[in-house]
Amino acid sequence: MRIPAAFRRSKGLIGAILVLSVFLVALLAPVFIPEDWATQMDMRARLSPPTWAHPLGTDQLGRDLMYRVLLGAQTSIYIASAAVLMSIVIGLPLGLISGYVGRTTDNVLMRLVDTLLSFPALLLALTISAVLGPNLQNTIIAIGIAFTPFLARIIRGEALRVAQMPYVEGARTAGNSDFRIIVHHILPNIMPAVIVQSTISLAFAILAEAGLSFLGLGTQPPDASWGLMIQASRDYLDRAPWTALVPGVAVAVTVLGLNMFGDALRDALDPRAKGGS
Amino acid sequence: MSYLVNRLLSMMLTLFLISVITFTVTNILPGDVAMMIMGTQSNPEALAGLRQSLGLNDPLIVQYGRWIGGMLTGDWGNSLVFKEPIAPLLLQKMKASALIVLFSMSIALVCAVPLGVWAAVHANRWQDTAASSASLVGVSLPDFFWGIMLILLFARGLGWLPSSGFIDPADDIWGAMRHALLPSLALGLGLMAHLTRMTRATMTGILNQEFIRVARAKGLDEGTVVWRYGLANAVGPVMTVAGLQVGYLFGSIIVIESLFNFTGMGWLTYQALLNRDIPLIQASVFVIAAVVMLANLIVDLLYVAVDPRIRLS
Amino acid sequence: MKRRDFLKTTTALMGGTILYGAPAMAASHSAPVTGGTLIWGHSETTQNLDMHQTGTASTGRVLQNVHDSIVTVDKDLKVIPNLAESFEQSEDGLVYTFKLRPGVMFHNGKTMTSADVKFSFDRCRNPDTGAVNFEVFNNVASIETPDDLTVIITLGQVNAPFLSRLAENGAGVIMPEGSGEVQGTTPIGCGPFKFVRREFGNEVELERFDDYWGGPAYLDKVIAREITEPTVRLTGLRTGELHMINDIPADRIAEIEADPNLQVVAWFPLNWDFVNFNHDYEPFKNPKVREAFDYMIDKEVLLEGALWGQGKTTASPSYPTSASYNAALTQRPQDIEKAKALLSEAGYGPGDLKVVFKATTNYPYHIEAAQIMLEWFRMAGVDASIEQLTWADWLSQCWVDKDFQITMMNFFTLWEPDFLYYSLWNTEGAFNYRKISNPMVDELTAKARVTVDPAERAEVYKQVQQVVHDETLDVVLWFRNGTIGAQPTVMGLDTIVHPNGSNLRFHKVWLAA
Repeated sequence: MRIPAAFRRSKGLIGAILVLSVFLVALLAPVFIPEDWATQMDMRARLSPPTWAHPLGTDQLGRDLMYRVLLGAQTSIYIASAAVLMSIVIGLPLGLISGYVGRTTDNVLMRLVDTLLSFPALLLALTISAVLGPNLQNTIIAIGIAFTPFLARIIRGEALRVAQMPYVEGARTAGNSDFRIIVHHILPNIMPAVIVQSTISLAFAILAEAGLSFLGLGTQPPDASWGLMIQASRDYLDRAPWTALVPGVAVAVTVLGLNMFGDALRDALDPRAKGGS
Repeated sequence: MSYLVNRLLSMMLTLFLISVITFTVTNILPGDVAMMIMGTQSNPEALAGLRQSLGLNDPLIVQYGRWIGGMLTGDWGNSLVFKEPIAPLLLQKMKASALIVLFSMSIALVCAVPLGVWAAVHANRWQDTAASSASLVGVSLPDFFWGIMLILLFARGLGWLPSSGFIDPADDIWGAMRHALLPSLALGLGLMAHLTRMTRATMTGILNQEFIRVARAKGLDEGTVVWRYGLANAVGPVMTVAGLQVGYLFGSIIVIESLFNFTGMGWLTYQALLNRDIPLIQASVFVIAAVVMLANLIVDLLYVAVDPRIRLS
Repeated sequence: MKRRDFLKTTTALMGGTILYGAPAMAASHSAPVTGGTLIWGHSETTQNLDMHQTGTASTGRVLQNVHDSIVTVDKDLKVIPNLAESFEQSEDGLVYTFKLRPGVMFHNGKTMTSADVKFSFDRCRNPDTGAVNFEVFNNVASIETPDDLTVIITLGQVNAPFLSRLAENGAGVIMPEGSGEVQGTTPIGCGPFKFVRREFGNEVELERFDDYWGGPAYLDKVIAREITEPTVRLTGLRTGELHMINDIPADRIAEIEADPNLQVVAWFPLNWDFVNFNHDYEPFKNPKVREAFDYMIDKEVLLEGALWGQGKTTASPSYPTSASYNAALTQRPQDIEKAKALLSEAGYGPGDLKVVFKATTNYPYHIEAAQIMLEWFRMAGVDASIEQLTWADWLSQCWVDKDFQITMMNFFTLWEPDFLYYSLWNTEGAFNYRKISNPMVDELTAKARVTVDPAERAEVYKQVQQVVHDETLDVVLWFRNGTIGAQPTVMGLDTIVHPNGSNLRFHKVWLAA
């Protein structure tokens, strides 16, 4: 049985729909749902299983998990997006300079990047978060910094490849300035790789935010974030598994969507990587 | 040979940089070891005395020199909060983590390679779609979510496996395996999905290459073509990816070990961070980074052994 | 409702221990058996094992079995002889003479003499040791040892609480002379169990000390597995991997009580909690603002919400059965309108006041409590948010740097009120991390230190509590219950809880076949 190509291509579509829905929820939930619905407690309905009143059940303080997971989307998405943006802002110039200038600059920068890559990203984020103190902004910085070396490494590789292309050579002999070459010739050609890597990083950032909050170093209560919700569910796992399942599924769906979308994007933008499922 | 020398030299340099970064970052951690030792009973005089005796008032460069000197001569000092000598403590915890890291890596490789090959051989058929979809879901679930699901199913639900604790294999090999299985699975499932995707991608590429077509044309049976020629060429890239994942695993163990109360390196590092036990943080972060670097080096060397072409480039 | 019944019983038995579960009751009449290894699921990780240096309850809980103090307290919290066979205090309250019990053996085979006592006390008061209780010896002028079994301590000035501070291991522990170096990793004492080993973060092994002066314990060994996850501890108890656990998750106690295959030991109080204001933060300099916050908190609901009702609200932090417990004090009821009115009297309209509540993850129920209180603060028009701090950060920010606006903490209800009232509320108090400076409290707590008559002293402390309450220096919330869950085969659990409510003692605990 052959799977029709249209169906395979639909992977990207499904991914895009999932990602879009999650972003829409993150954007619109705060508009339609009053923010305090996520923190409202009902002491008579603690750890309640899904009921009509609480379609997804409640947590240990009787807070509605549906509202929490919907309103939590904005926190998780915001942190992840901002962190990835930050890693691009730092990583892009680093990678470009390193790849284009080469020689000693490249050696020094990449030695540093390689060193940073020896630290597991989560460990790095955890340490930075401990240094800066746990709050929303510092969580973004911690994840952003932890992801920068990856991005810098990939961009450097791409820049190196593009810099050796004949048209760049040509632009150089034509007397264009380095800055002009980087902005007009190299940057546009490495954008596909940057976009693909950003999508994948976004998926990892969502996981990292969840991981940090899970360890108590990310988002602060009573704000809802998916990682924080999973952390709170730990003590009630066997009694009220839905408290872990609801945010867990939310994380999984978002990351799944991002991965599907990222895969399709890579297939479309980067012909050399064809075949990655 | 010069490749090896080069590699080792750059390794030394990286190690040095790792030590500098570790030391610098941990030194700007807020909180004070003296305070942690004294807890809610601290008072200014006793604190000042303790700080002095711990050498916390010396200039940073002096403290770094003392630290790196100690690390090099095997004197890793004592954990300030727990009062244990650090070196044996780390060794003991590293053994525990090695157990689940190696266990999860084996589970992942043993399952992922055949599955990936199988998917590649049946590229674009239902077998491929099934394997690819499953592995896509696999990489999308956070490892602690896997952990929670495994605890719910195997520990709480079926009651087959313990959900927490570490047992030294030297004391009780069967018990050790039982305790290590769930955390290893939690670590390994995501990794397995990732490696399946990698194997499939690499194999698909290889199976489309000229020499495979030639082999097929020569009339070799498909099994030989796939497993002898195809896989032999895929081993290198897959191993590289697996090696790179060691770093990822050492990040994941922080969460997974704390979830399973599995007292290894991840758990220790997290405890050290929470307690601001600076010498312990420094040593464990340094050791983790060094182990990750070493793993990558080993993978590189193996890669050279498997694929001699690398040496030329 | 089960909880109500439970509370009623606890109230009736304030300061006592209750045993649930028929099997223990029936079997406790049979004669104790020697032998067996008890596996205990300990709720916390032990840290520095040096009894002088460790400030953590977790370590003290285990070391209670390894060490003994020079004096101790009975059920009525009266100081009684222990390693000292007798003690007397001079008329002027300045000279304490201890007659040591002869033939007390240390785990290293040596016999205890006055030299060991002098060594231990000197070690504790030496600032280089970093002993947490070193201020107990602040007024000590000299420690003399005229013979092997006599110790004479002379104070420079009267320190009424001195003796009862020696009734706990932190200051009163006796270690063999010269053992200072090894205490941190391999503690040596003269308690009923010898320390065998600790696998850090995993377990501590204790072994019976056959030459214990109080007669050998029944158990061969005690293994304390350190399992910090509450649900994991509970699963271990249910599956039989563990003989007993301390600190049953609050939401599960009713369920375990109802389980015929398990027994529950509950006692009261384990410790007490209070909400703190930083008296240096401009708004909290005004007593009206502090009072307003008190009116925002419904203590009963908070207890139910944060601790699933496992405790009892109180306005007095004194040990419930002690003379200084002020039963006349009552907590302010929740009254959001009144709180708003008080705030606007102080010049803060709705939304004008912004506060950050710092709570430590070391006590997960503090995080829950903070979240509940936050809702009430917001109802009263206060713009409030939470910052979760690790224990290390809480200590450095709130305790030492006093950089906070609102926080909460718990303390042991020690039998010695000076430890509470002077340390916590006197301007000079070692634990006054709220920057409280109240002349009336200062005067009263200083007066209590030199008041030797116990009844008179108790009255003084009751007045201190009245001021703390009237001025809302802090908001005292509740006493929290302590709990142990155990297999029916574990016997002698009625003796396990030390009077301080935190330490566990396995001397008289045994396992039925």
